[in-house]
Amino acid sequence: MSAVTLIDYDAGNLASLEGALDRLGLSFQRAATPDEAAPGGPIVLPGVGHFEAAQKSLRERGWWRALPGLVAEGRPVLGICLGLQLLAEGSEEAPRASGLGLLPGIVRRLGPGVKVPHMGWSQVRRNYPHPALADPQGAWLYFVHSYALEPTGETVYVAEHGRPFAAVEARGNVMGFQPHPEKSGPAGLLLLQQSLAWMGASAPVPEVPCN
Amino acid sequence: MPAKRVIPCLDVKNGRVVKGVQFKHLRDLGHPVDLARRYDAEGADELAFLDIAASLENRGTREAWVREVARELSIPFTVGGGVSSVADARSLLRSGADKVAVNTAAALRPALVSELADAFGRQCVVVAVDVKRDEALGWRVALKGGTEPTERAALDWLWELNDLGAGEILLTSMDRDGTGEGFDLPLIEKASGLPIPLIASGGAGREIHFLEALEYGADAVLAATLFHEGILPIPQLKAYLAQNDLSVRI
Repeated sequence: MSAVTLIDYDAGNLASLEGALDRLGLSFQRAATPDEAAPGGPIVLPGVGHFEAAQKSLRERGWWRALPGLVAEGRPVLGICLGLQLLAEGSEEAPRASGLGLLPGIVRRLGPGVKVPHMGWSQVRRNYPHPALADPQGAWLYFVHSYALEPTGETVYVAEHGRPFAAVEARGNVMGFQPHPEKSGPAGLLLLQQSLAWMGASAPVPEVPCN
Repeated sequence: MPAKRVIPCLDVKNGRVVKGVQFKHLRDLGHPVDLARRYDAEGADELAFLDIAASLENRGTREAWVREVARELSIPFTVGGGVSSVADARSLLRSGADKVAVNTAAALRPALVSELADAFGRQCVVVAVDVKRDEALGWRVALKGGTEPTERAALDWLWELNDLGAGEILLTSMDRDGTGEGFDLPLIEKASGLPIPLIASGGAGREIHFLEALEYGADAVLAATLFHEGILPIPQLKAYLAQNDLSVRI
């Protein structure tokens, strides 16, 4: 059981995420570079903004090089929003740049025919079972994005905005959330709790009944 | 299509939520965090904070409460009031706001909208537009809290804002604001053709007004007094909208 490492690279809203982890009773630490990461436990890659700018910032801090190695060693990594997109193979937002390739597929622009950015609450449905994540049963989660990862048959949760896209994607020890769980009310907290507990984060405080 | 959103709007002055008629006789409603928690628990989909006395001097106070709200709230929130530069917006977003709202500053210097969109992405940029209807000229943009009518055609301005990079429009009918007689539905209908989300504001008095605004094409509805005074509790409103076949988060 370890603290959650939050990658701090000026492209994420860490205050909200930290608030959510506090409410779940999980310990966490910020890490601007891989040297500052906790010795074990999940690494969270948050992110808002532009794909290429975020990638540049991650490169400057050494994370872009380090992440594939950490994943190969078995460290669990969770990307949120743009974080998920950076973990994919690439994005139409930055055709010249490639992604980390830790999740399969390409990120494509939403639309046409729907309002972009997709901003607001949408329902997710389970598409493929995952050991950590229960059937969301039509839970509403909060999304803010203009690009989305194409779903595959193994995408865990799918949402729709004009077309279906990957809301939760997972491969081995790598997971990505397109919605913002820290902004998604109780349903979002549950998603964070399930995934981070599975990834080995310090357990929630004992007041939470274990059933 | 995402769920239709219900958004309470809170006026903040010097770090306290206040309520008052035309900004006179302000009544203290409490700390932003206390109201944020209450609305979060009631099922609000988002919150909007408007700093009605924003100034350079109180920037520190504002950053402090924005940071606290960000840690406590499990839903998104927008902060507006006196945002006139990328630096102003950065201070709010760094403190944990999800979006910033700009109004007069964008009307006076439209390039601000593009600068904000380039710096933070258009999803962070809410442009508040106050509209007043002129008998001869139709809907016009009004500035300074709706007190200063301009010649600018409201609908043209909305499309221009979309082109500039606005991520969302908060549209307030100054003719309806405070009347409780319902939203300006023809205005909403026209504005809902925009390719970005539309938040309707001004005129809500009863449940049915919210339903009408959403049916006329608004993506979200915003109100203040009705919610603050407990006249229309949010769970009741959302249950009503759901009964009327609107997609809402319950």
